[in-house]
Order: sequence, then structure tokens, then C-alpha cells
Amino acid sequence: MQCEICGRKSEGNFCELHKAAYDNLLKNYEAWKKSMKVSWKEYLTHIKVNEFSGLWVKEVAQHLLASDSSKQQGVQKAELDK
Amino acid sequence: MLCEKPSTAERIAKALDENGKPQKKETDRVPYYETFRVGKRLIVVAALGHLYTVAPKVTDRNVYPVFEFDWVPRYTAERDARDTKKWVEVITNLSKGAQEYILATDYDIEGATLGYTILKYACGEKDKEAKRMKFSTLTTEELRKSYDELFEHIEFPTIEAGVCRHFLDAMYGINLSRAMTVAAKQYSGKYLTLSTGRVQGPTLKFLVDREKKINTFVPIPFWAIKTSVEINGQVFEVEYEKAKMQSREEAEAVINACLGKKGKISKMEVKKFHQNPPVPFDLGALQAEAYSFFKYTPRRTSDVAERLYLEALISYPRTSSQKLPPTINSRAILELLANEPKYTSLAHQLLSEKKLVPNEGKREDSAHPSIYPTGILPSKALGDPERKLWDLIVRRFMAVFSKPALKQSSKVTITVDGYSFFLHGKQVLEEGWMVFYKPFIRAEDVILPPLEKGQEIAFKEVVVEDKFTKPPVRYNPSSLLKKMEDEGIGTKATRAGIIDTLYTRGYVGGERASISELGLDVTNILERYCPEVVSISFTREMEKNMEEIQNEKEKKDVVIAKATIRLEPVLTEMKKHQETMGQELTEAAKKAQMQQRVVGSCLQCGTGKLVIVYSRRTGKRFLGCTGFFKGQCKVSFPLPQTGTVKPVSKDCGVCGWPMIQYQTKGKRPWVFCVRPDCPSKEARR
Repeated sequence: MQCEICGRKSEGNFCELHKAAYDNLLKNYEAWKKSMKVSWKEYLTHIKVNEFSGLWVKEVAQHLLASDSSKQQGVQKAELDK
Repeated sequence: MLCEKPSTAERIAKALDENGKPQKKETDRVPYYETFRVGKRLIVVAALGHLYTVAPKVTDRNVYPVFEFDWVPRYTAERDARDTKKWVEVITNLSKGAQEYILATDYDIEGATLGYTILKYACGEKDKEAKRMKFSTLTTEELRKSYDELFEHIEFPTIEAGVCRHFLDAMYGINLSRAMTVAAKQYSGKYLTLSTGRVQGPTLKFLVDREKKINTFVPIPFWAIKTSVEINGQVFEVEYEKAKMQSREEAEAVINACLGKKGKISKMEVKKFHQNPPVPFDLGALQAEAYSFFKYTPRRTSDVAERLYLEALISYPRTSSQKLPPTINSRAILELLANEPKYTSLAHQLLSEKKLVPNEGKREDSAHPSIYPTGILPSKALGDPERKLWDLIVRRFMAVFSKPALKQSSKVTITVDGYSFFLHGKQVLEEGWMVFYKPFIRAEDVILPPLEKGQEIAFKEVVVEDKFTKPPVRYNPSSLLKKMEDEGIGTKATRAGIIDTLYTRGYVGGERASISELGLDVTNILERYCPEVVSISFTREMEKNMEEIQNEKEKKDVVIAKATIRLEPVLTEMKKHQETMGQELTEAAKKAQMQQRVVGSCLQCGTGKLVIVYSRRTGKRFLGCTGFFKGQCKVSFPLPQTGTVKPVSKDCGVCGWPMIQYQTKGKRPWVFCVRPDCPSKEARR
């Protein structure tokens, strides 16, 4: 399989690098939700433009925002439920 | 007498000649000197750095693994070393009939190895009978002393370690680089310059690991309070007791409690402490300081220091020592430095002391003391980098002999409604060593006015600041060198060069060493198929082994055998995955090549990228949008047809289109907007 973002070899939707960025996005959402009271979509929008966000994190955020929102919400919820 | 470089040969010949006028001779444009000392006729000849190199017996670049290596003349193995042939021939001829052989190359692992190979292979096995000159400066006095007290033998344990290093580096570098290039060539049919090595791989891995942390970083919001107070008309910044707050409400509660109120000083702490002078410069510390003040890369500092050494202005710079032994005669050096007007009063201050005791560091180097000025003043005006570095070394040398500075730090606690704020002051009470080290001091005083407990303080500003956690910073060449030093990989002589190689290979770019896609992909591929290659533990173990060889606790052949055993399965594994590795490496290289052509985003279509394109029909270059290939965008811009054009990752401040850098030979680079009708070009029209 190929990474949906960069085309590198991958085992899932994302390559190892974008997967690490995606995992970090999931991991830190709780902190954002608690302090900023933002929805997942708002969170991604903030991350996409934040000057300190990593490049791959921004790419994942952009990709998730651009892809089907219901699908990504489902993925996100499933990940958080774990 | 064999020296390392022509300039050293000239200096040594001059120093040793009874009249200070050696006769310069030349054969085939290779200079050497005839000099007379105590009735002896000395022929002083220089090498041109290494004249021999370790090369595999199998020269076909498509064959690996190769484990049989030999010393061969460099001109037979390296295309750009053809010039060294005549040097080998001249040295061979001059050595015939000599009654005595003296090695006067740099007294370190490379100098000894270089001399050993020439004595052994060019002079006909004269390594065992050669005597050795040891010196740390090129001053006449030291060179003469060194000649009078020749060592009976060259330093064989050091040479064993040096030879071992050369064999290991060749074995790893050649096999791994061949494995990579062969894999890529078999897949694509094209030759790609890809390399890795025993130290290069782990060094690149440091950068990749840091890059991964930066690129996967998710900033977390927090709130801080920015506060300032006004005392006697002066404004001071104060810090709230809690640097980070997890919610805006928490921060606003503090603000509300403080607004319109005055704080009271509840506690005052004043500490006086001594700050010792800095320790003498080893090469790493000099490189760090030169980067910090002059932004010189470690390689540049090393080169400039080498030039100062060859001019006899400083001692041998490739040292890891932080010691200044009494034998260097610091007092005599200061007396000489006092002849330079800008150091006169400082040097006299130190000379008025009865005893000169340096504040030494812990690191030792059996071969050389730390870097110090010889006291000799420049006979001609120095270039800017040499002048700056020499000044830094002279001032550091004086500073290490001076007294500690006396400093005072104060912390005043201001309380409002149970919330505490801290006002910090710092002041130098007695400058001590700082007087000598100016202008290379960064500390700034914050002098507080007289204050007392219970005093009321008015807040000038209390505001909430929205902040985010920040990613770790990228390495710069200096901090990367420090990391290599701390991790114990490479040597003081090789580290700067390895960092340079990472840049020239295109793995790393920019002042803040940022990893290119190629560097990232190459490391990921190596990590996947042969993690040993980028493993720091393996490299560190090898460095330790080599140190043990130098200390005569380990044998060279044992270390090489151990390394071979570890490398063999790695190469077998690489061969097994040759095809997939080749495909991945080729794609990575293609992507990197493409990246070098991308100038920036196309503002017309918003989705395409502007790339440098060469017309198949005319061969001319221009900028075109990648959207053209999808039939979405037809934007194109002309480019100059001569000189080099490079992307600069910068957008025009006036129109927002990307900018490019254009340079023709001998001219300064010119950065301009890609749009021919951009208003920023109005002034040039």
C-alpha cells in the first residue's frame, strides 16, 4: 500500500511518518478539548495553521479535513475508544 | 625529514637551519629544502596530506562484499589525487641513500599514520628506524628543542589505531555505499551517488530522529501571565510563580486578583557567588564558541585554526586537551602578547601577578596541550576570519589565568492576594576574568533599585498570554558536533568533515541542519534493512576498541576481525533485499531531484507547484506549473538561460509569488521574484 499523503510505502492508510503524526494528533486532542473546548474538526483547523505544528502533523490535519468528515470522525472516535 | 604539508616543511626548515636560510629546491614542481644543522645535512620534504589510502583488492565498484584491503598510493585509487604521484616519486628518490629518517608530521593519529605509510611504502620499510619529532607549535624555539630531543621511534600504538580506523572506515564505507549504489543501479540502470559510513550513518540518524520529533509535533495550548512592575520610574519584567497554566480561566483569575492593586515585597533573597574563568580551548569548545560569535561552521573554524597554526600564531588546534602545562611558559607568551597594543594593559595586569595558575578543565590529550597563542604576533595583516579567531584564542588564554568574577543574583517576591510574582536581578560586582574575555561575554546586568521588605510595588502591566508548547530545535553544525562528541563517535579531526559530507550528499541543508527528503528516506531504508549501520552503539564500541589499541590493550587485527563478523550478515541482508532497496532508493533520489526543481506554489491555480522545466524542443529552461500536465493550469515564467537558478523557499514580499536565486560565475547571487512584471522589480527597470 501507499501512504495517502506522500505515496511512501505503508501498511495502512499512512506511512510510518504520517502515522506517527496521526497518533500524536489523537494523543493530544484530549488536552486541546479540555483547555480550548474545541471539536475534532476545530482542533484540526487550529493545528493546520499553528506555527509550531510539525509539517507531517499539518499534512495529516489537512488530509483529514479534506477527506470525508463522517469517515474521519468515525476513525477518530474508534481510536479514542481504544 | 618528512613533514605533513609544504608550508610546515618550509617553516621547519627555516627554524632548523643554522642561518635561518634553507635552500629551496624543486623536482617536478615538488618543493623540498636543504638545510644544515649541527654539521648535518637535512633534506626536509613535505607530503601532501595522505599519499596512501586503504583500497579494496577488488576494484570493480559493482562487487560487494569486499573484505580484503591494502594500502595503495592514492593516485591509483582516487581520480582527484593524480597530483600525488610525483610527490611519492620525489620522496622515494630523496629517501634513497639517506642515513637517518625523521618523521615531523602532526603529532596525532592522522599525522602518525600518514607518516608511517610514506616511510613504509615510499621510503622502503623505513618506518622501524625512523625517529620522531614532537611539537605542538611551529615556533623556532620549540622546533629546535624538538629536533634536539628526538624520540627514538615513531608512535606505533597510535599508528596501529590509525591503521585500524582507516581499514574500518574503508570496509564499512565502501561496502555499504556499494550495496546502496548497486541496488539503485540494478533497479534503475542509472548510477546514483549514495553513501553511508561507520560514523556518517549514526550522525544522520541523530538528525533524522530530531526531524521526526519536530515534524510530528503537536503544540499544546497553555496560558502564561506577562507582568511588569514600575519602581522609581523604571520598568522591570516579573514572572508569575506558575509559568504554565492549563486554562485561560485560571490565568484570568490571577489577573482579576491583581488588577488595580499594589503588590507587597514579601521576601528578598540575595546571593553572591563566584564564577570561575572559562577553561582553555580544546577544538570542540573553540568550534562552539566560533559558531556562537561568528557563525563559523566547525569545518571553517578548523581550517582557520589550522592556518593560524601554520603561521606559528597558535598551538596545534586538533586537541581535546583542556590543560595548559607549565612547560608552555605562559609568562613568556604574555610578555610577547603585551607587544600588541590592544593586549598590552591586559597582559601587564596578568604579568603583575606572582604566580600564573590556569583554570584547567578535566579533559586531557596525551599528544598536545589545549589551544593557546604562541605569543608570536602576525608578521602581516591577517584576514578577517584569522584575525577574529586569533583574538578569541588570545583573550580566552588570558581569561583562564585571571580571577573568578564575583556576581550577585537577587530574587524579590511580590505578593498580591496570595499570588506570588518574582522579580529577578543580576549584577556583576567584580568582573575578574570577564575583563579579559570581552567582547565574548553575553551576560547582561539587571540592576535593581534599593528595595525593602513590605515595600509596595505598582503593577505596570498584567496580561494573559496565549501560548503553545514548542517543538525541539534543530541541530546546527555546532550543536551536532557537540552531540557527536558527547556520544563518542568520530574523532576531533573527522567530525567536522563528516558533517560537511552530509551537506554535500544532499542529506542535510540549511544553517539549521534540516534533513532533506533524501536524507530521511536513506536513513529509513537503512534502518529497515540494516539497523546496525545507523546504530550508535556499534560505532561507539568501535571507537572504544580503537582507543584500546592506542593504549596497547587491544590488537588491531582482533578489532578488524570483530568488525568483519558484524558487517558480513548486514551485507548479506542488504543483498537479499537488493531489489526492493534499489526501488526505494531510486524513488527517494528521484523525489529529491524533483524537489530541487520545485520553486514554490502556483498562486494562479492554487494546487500546482512551479518547477524548473527544460523544453525538449529548444533545450531552454523556464518555470512551469505542474498543473499543466493535468490540463489545469498554463502558468509559465521565463528564466535566465545562463548561470545557475536555485529555489530559495521564500515568497515575494510584494506579490506573494515564489522567489528564486540566480547566480553567474564570479557574481553575487541575486534573489528575485519569478514574476517578470512584479512591482518589486520596478526600481531595476
